[in-house]
Amino acid sequence: MAQSAKSEAKQIVDPGIEKGAAGLTEERIQAVIHRVLKGESGARLKVYVDTCVHCGLCSDACHYYLSHDKDPRYSPVAKVKQTLWEMIRRDGRVSVDFMRRAAEIAHTECNLCKRCAMYCPFGIDIAYLMLVVRRIVHLLGMTPQYIQDTAHSHAAVSNQMWVKPDEWPDTLQWQEEEARGEIPTLRIPLEKEGADIMYSVIGPEPKFQAQLIYQAAMIMDMAGVNWTMPATAGWDNSDMAMYTGDNEVMGRIKREHFETAARLRVRRIVMGECGHAFRSVYDVGNRWLGWRIPPIPIIHAIEFYHELLTSGKIRVAKKFQTPVTIHDPCNVVRGAGLHHMAREVAHAICEEVVEMYPNCEHNYCCCAGGGVINCGPPWKNKRIEGNRVKADQLADAKIRGAKVLIAPCHNCHSGLEDINHAYELGLDIKFFGDIIYEVMEKPGA
Amino acid sequence: MKPFVTVLLAVACGVLWSTTTLLAQEDMRTVPNDVFMAPQRPPAVFVHDEHNTAAGIDECNRCHHVYRDGQLVEDESSEDYRCSDCHAETDTDDGMPALMDAFHGNCKQCHLEKGKGPIMCGECHQRP
Amino acid sequence: MHPIYGWVTGPLTWIAFVLFFGGLLYRLAQLLVLIRRKEPFIFSYMSFKYGLRSILHWLLPFGTVNWRLHPVMTIVTFAFHICLLAAPIFLMAHALLFEEAWGLGWPSLPDVVADGMTMVVMAGAVFFLVRRIVRPEVRFVTSTSDYLLLALVAAPFVTGFIAYHQLFAYRWMLVAHIVSGQVLLVAIPFTRLVHMLFAPLTRAYMGSEFGGVRHAVDW
Repeated sequence: MAQSAKSEAKQIVDPGIEKGAAGLTEERIQAVIHRVLKGESGARLKVYVDTCVHCGLCSDACHYYLSHDKDPRYSPVAKVKQTLWEMIRRDGRVSVDFMRRAAEIAHTECNLCKRCAMYCPFGIDIAYLMLVVRRIVHLLGMTPQYIQDTAHSHAAVSNQMWVKPDEWPDTLQWQEEEARGEIPTLRIPLEKEGADIMYSVIGPEPKFQAQLIYQAAMIMDMAGVNWTMPATAGWDNSDMAMYTGDNEVMGRIKREHFETAARLRVRRIVMGECGHAFRSVYDVGNRWLGWRIPPIPIIHAIEFYHELLTSGKIRVAKKFQTPVTIHDPCNVVRGAGLHHMAREVAHAICEEVVEMYPNCEHNYCCCAGGGVINCGPPWKNKRIEGNRVKADQLADAKIRGAKVLIAPCHNCHSGLEDINHAYELGLDIKFFGDIIYEVMEKPGA
Repeated sequence: MKPFVTVLLAVACGVLWSTTTLLAQEDMRTVPNDVFMAPQRPPAVFVHDEHNTAAGIDECNRCHHVYRDGQLVEDESSEDYRCSDCHAETDTDDGMPALMDAFHGNCKQCHLEKGKGPIMCGECHQRP
Repeated sequence: MHPIYGWVTGPLTWIAFVLFFGGLLYRLAQLLVLIRRKEPFIFSYMSFKYGLRSILHWLLPFGTVNWRLHPVMTIVTFAFHICLLAAPIFLMAHALLFEEAWGLGWPSLPDVVADGMTMVVMAGAVFFLVRRIVRPEVRFVTSTSDYLLLALVAAPFVTGFIAYHQLFAYRWMLVAHIVSGQVLLVAIPFTRLVHMLFAPLTRAYMGSEFGGVRHAVDW
């Protein structure tokens, strides 16, 4: 079945996968699979594989499965069957072609959104199993090109987007200047030791979404927060190495992030509206470094805005009039339970909030996260086709009045833009920060 | 009329008494289970004389035993009593086996010890 | 029949129970050692409260979104598993054998109830078989071993049913019933039937992660 599935699938050529496949021998594949399955992995892999009774009840959790008219190849358990089960059954003696397909499945047919963990009666963590496959793919050098490039960037310059050391403070100063046009006294305090909060962002913000830094600075300034941003590496909280299975680089950049906050002696790290970065500092990276919970409290933007709004540090001048709907990003909802706060924030700043269904923990994935959008243009259409169910869900919310879609996560934001465009939904996609910036009182402006 | 009725009744009683006692011995096919409140299985197959001939049992008290103070009384026998006269249907505090356990103890345990005779549930509790 | 019956109810039963309980203990110990050696963090995330919370939700028919999404499967799987466990343990004939062997007695079900439960198990097995063949997402991940496991589970119930009703070859059917039950017991620790032991643990771990770290529900 796995073989026929392969031949039916549209062949997409990824230079990264091909480059890795070119030099591979089956002996090398076996050695790497042994290293990961027998050496690095432990109880979870063994128990998950031994316990699964192949019941298929996880299927309806997956947006790929639902979007492909319930094609069985896309069910979560089928992805394990087509990768790990075969590797285990054949004791690692699998072909280069098999690994090519495994790389495709693990990197472009699963967003690691963990919705299936809530549908499996046994709570088997298939996202973890897909990460194990990605680890094998990484060690074989077969990671898709675009995401590998971001991982290289993390390794070389400690940020995701090849932002050079001087470009970073330059960008902050540029945004400070821009914002001073509105609030003449505004500062983006760099390297302020002992500040309450270190604000951290992901690489793409300085690279091509600098207005988000502008907005964050305005919110910080209006709220009168004692905050700072580092001028050095460690400012980027994102982590694509986490998604390529390059755990060593993941750990290194997480350590740099925490150490930067420790050097600045801040009480808390507040991060922008990003999901995967939150996962990397709150769930995955801290564990790799040996911390049960993050060594310095990590506050996601949703929590931070909630705090500012409920404590009255920022006030809403006039609520946002256009009806909005909320997308629940996996990493901060299934990952941190922030859906209640997200709704409270939405209701505090918007006149009308339309729910999309299913919502909260059961929301459909954006299909961009988990490093899938980072696999780049070769896989874009597949990603959009794989999330028709999201388009239907959004269309339904639109019919019931929603015109603006709030997506408090960068990956979700970008992925939903693609869905919005491809399925011609005509929604306006915003971050919470966009709306707060628009509706808050700005004394002194 | 009156004497006639009396004689008839007496004869009837006599016939009834003799048939029941005779049946209990010579024509017995099963161990009656009607003393159980809710018997779970069909009555156990048991042909009294045939069984005893085959098993070479001469002494009644091999099965119709008498226990006093927990000790088997060698010379007495209890064939005039029903098993349920002594063995209650459910466990009692005096250490007396419940009725079903007594039946199983008498039949199955002996079969197991002798290595002969039915020992599986359905071998005795045969369905009609 | 005496020697065969003596053998299957004597030594074979001992072997089966030793392998069953010993196997379960072995799998549990092996798991704990493996966690200790390679993923000790699992212990620090395990939470009794959140683990139990998750297990209880999943033990409740229609207590989770996915149970509600598959009503027929939910009813069948709950009925199947309850009967699968309760019928053999509370069958009068089984309780009787234990009492005769060890003096350990426990309350038992009326035969007619146990008989009904056996029919539920057999019907459930047929349902699972048909589901495996008919549902594409299940068929895709089905291998021969899945059918074998299902047969292994159904065998003691089918043979027990035939023997109880004395439909044919009573003595051989009873021996087949005892032996297939023993094979099933031994298979549990060493096949995917080990989900009997592991499923509560994996559920508890996911429940602990969701409750303690993720502050979200996993049902």
